[in-house]
Amino acid sequence: MEEHYQHLYEALSQVDGYIYPNEIDLHWGLMIVLYPYITGLVAGAFILASLERVFNIKALKPTYGIALLTALSFLFVATLPLVSHLQHPLRSYEIFMTPNPTSAMAIFGFVYLWYLMVVLLLEIWFDYRLDFVIWSKTSTGFKKLFYKVITLGINDTDEKSAKLDDKLGYFITVLGIPSAFLLHGYVGFIFGSIKANPWWSTVLMPVIFLFSAMVSGIALVMVIYMVVSWARKVKIDMLCLDTIAKYLFYILIIDFTLESLDQIHRLYEAEESFDIIKVLVGGKLNITLIYMQVLFGTIIPLSVIGFFQIYKPTEKIRKISYFFVGILVLIGIFFMRWNVVIGGQLFSKSLSGFTTFNAVYSGLEGYLMMAVWLILPLLILTFLLWLMPPWKKVSSHE
Amino acid sequence: MGTERIVNKRRKFFQTSAALLGGTLLYSIIKPFEAIAQTEEEPTIDDKNLPLWGMGVDIESCIGCGKCAEACKIENKVPEEPFYFRTWVEQYTVKNDGEVKIESPNGGIGGLKQSVPDEDIFKSFMVPKLCNHCTKAPCVQACPVGATFISPDGVVLVDETYCIGCSYCIQACPYGARFMNPVTKVADKCTFCYHRITKGLEPACVEVCPTNARVFGDLRDKKGDLVKFLQDNPTQVLKPHLNTHSRVFYNGLSSEVK
Amino acid sequence: MPKIIFRLFLSFVVFVSIFILIQRYLTPNSFGEYGHYRASAIDDNMLSVPFYKGEEECASCHQEVYDLKSADIHSGIRCESCHMPKIAASKDCKINPPKVEGSLNFCGQCHAINAGRLKKGVPTLNFKDHKGDQNCIECHNAHAPWELKE
Repeated sequence: MEEHYQHLYEALSQVDGYIYPNEIDLHWGLMIVLYPYITGLVAGAFILASLERVFNIKALKPTYGIALLTALSFLFVATLPLVSHLQHPLRSYEIFMTPNPTSAMAIFGFVYLWYLMVVLLLEIWFDYRLDFVIWSKTSTGFKKLFYKVITLGINDTDEKSAKLDDKLGYFITVLGIPSAFLLHGYVGFIFGSIKANPWWSTVLMPVIFLFSAMVSGIALVMVIYMVVSWARKVKIDMLCLDTIAKYLFYILIIDFTLESLDQIHRLYEAEESFDIIKVLVGGKLNITLIYMQVLFGTIIPLSVIGFFQIYKPTEKIRKISYFFVGILVLIGIFFMRWNVVIGGQLFSKSLSGFTTFNAVYSGLEGYLMMAVWLILPLLILTFLLWLMPPWKKVSSHE
Repeated sequence: MGTERIVNKRRKFFQTSAALLGGTLLYSIIKPFEAIAQTEEEPTIDDKNLPLWGMGVDIESCIGCGKCAEACKIENKVPEEPFYFRTWVEQYTVKNDGEVKIESPNGGIGGLKQSVPDEDIFKSFMVPKLCNHCTKAPCVQACPVGATFISPDGVVLVDETYCIGCSYCIQACPYGARFMNPVTKVADKCTFCYHRITKGLEPACVEVCPTNARVFGDLRDKKGDLVKFLQDNPTQVLKPHLNTHSRVFYNGLSSEVK
Repeated sequence: MPKIIFRLFLSFVVFVSIFILIQRYLTPNSFGEYGHYRASAIDDNMLSVPFYKGEEECASCHQEVYDLKSADIHSGIRCESCHMPKIAASKDCKINPPKVEGSLNFCGQCHAINAGRLKKGVPTLNFKDHKGDQNCIECHNAHAPWELKE
């Protein structure tokens, strides 16, 4: 506690202008930056998988399984930063017991459960069930046990059951698209519905969150696909990679347009809050917004992929460029979340001053913990890829 | 013939299951919006025999001595550190060049001191702040578990044993009236000294105010001090554009006040 | 109905039923009585013991001082505005007496010059010009400020 006070006294000495005395502490820190980031990666990865299955973009087939497993690994972790940021984590079950119907946050538990249990797990299960049955006969040890249990005792391998799996899987995917939109549009609504905060309170927030989620998820799957291919020492399917990049390009344009529209709207309307937001963007958020989010996260990736749409250099150059573009986009979207969550708390609701955000390295809300939450899903993904490698699948949907 | 029957059966099954799942999904989509629709209505408090607490603040009387902020901390065991306030006093100084300087060092405890040289001052005044006990409280709307609520007598309270400490209510409050209590680790805020007013006492801040700048009372008591204060003075609430319908009314509220 | 659907549907029903059971069990008793909250939380909020006792409490021992104050300019100010209580109301204030130093800082909380204090009926003055560093109570009786001491 003494350390916390010390931290606050330091922030107090850095206050610029006037802020309400209770606003010196930033109540939402790195963990809440991670929360929309990770949920966004889930929604984005899932939508990429759906592009292949529902919208029938066959070039994306090599990434279908990876995209689904990526979404699942990140979804497992999505709630952990949230719970760890609570002051009373042991009371978190209350959000399921007595969800407040008027709260934008209360429904998250249910949206999350729906998405995890009904959409992702079921879709993956339908996709893999036949393989589980087959693999359970050929493997040994832990894997054999896992495959046996996970089939839920349904061991049919005939064509009819495979067809049924396919149909049900398709149905779930169709259901999954609005669910993914719901999941992340909803996360945007948590911020967009706070009328007390002019930086958050915009009707575009859910839409912006949705498209930035798609951007980040697609970039993540693109990078993971390349890494997995390199690790497996197989040739990367260039048509697939080019197609992902093309979709990344389109959706990034939409995302950038929406975000620009939001800012232009603020600039032109120049409401009461505009004076302070102007100072915020030019000052405290200068690096994270103008450079990290807009320049590195948006303009450079757009220019590179845009250029490739007109002129295609050699495969090698494209591969390396895609890899770095993917990383840049992932960093850019991370800072987009940062700018929303942290940026929205840096200025006072009195619209007359600023506090500062001094993140710490250690502790439940520090940078180290953030690294853990970002690496953990990758470890889960590695495990899942070992347990149920999509490239070893026998069955495959149409 | 046989296959056709199976196909028909299956089609029927798909239709039913699609309808079922679609219904569930639709419900989960509509659910958050249903909540929005609900907030359009004012929360109804049925029992007209109960008081409806409110406060009047007279900016023209406040001298910025900070006694209220100090008393509040003592009465409600709020940590002494200058980051936690259930009530505080701000001093607004409008300079001759139009610049507005707002100050509230340590919430005004120990008395506000003028920091702008006399010759630069156009006008100056003090504004006590506290929870506005909104009728349409954004914090109550936002709380995910129902750990903060409007009591039947119109006071916004926190359930200390139930709050999960997510800080969403703090983000939702337009007035900066909430904070995370470092000791109890739950959201904390002005309760109008609920433990006092239910015993017939006045809130601590009202009790200690030397100039009677705060008038506490029952909005339903037509002969009470608060109703008289509202009748005699042109009053305004803070941030009226946010439509929170707050129950703390200010007399002499200048447009500089944020 | 295909086996696969049946099993999944069964798992779904089991899952939802368990959830509803847990929800029944873990929802606090008085929850929802008046609204979406624990009704007994209202009582919890009434529990704490007041610190500020009110003037009648003070006057029951210090009637003379109270009378003196009531007859003078500080009559509108309650005892505890200056004598901040240091213990909860259920205890005797002799345990930890709420003493006040009549220092310049203390009286200055109300009487120091401040542009925001003009025209409010409270006399303000520059202490330095008035009597230097001398404490107010060396001349003034705080309970009757115009009864100057010799």
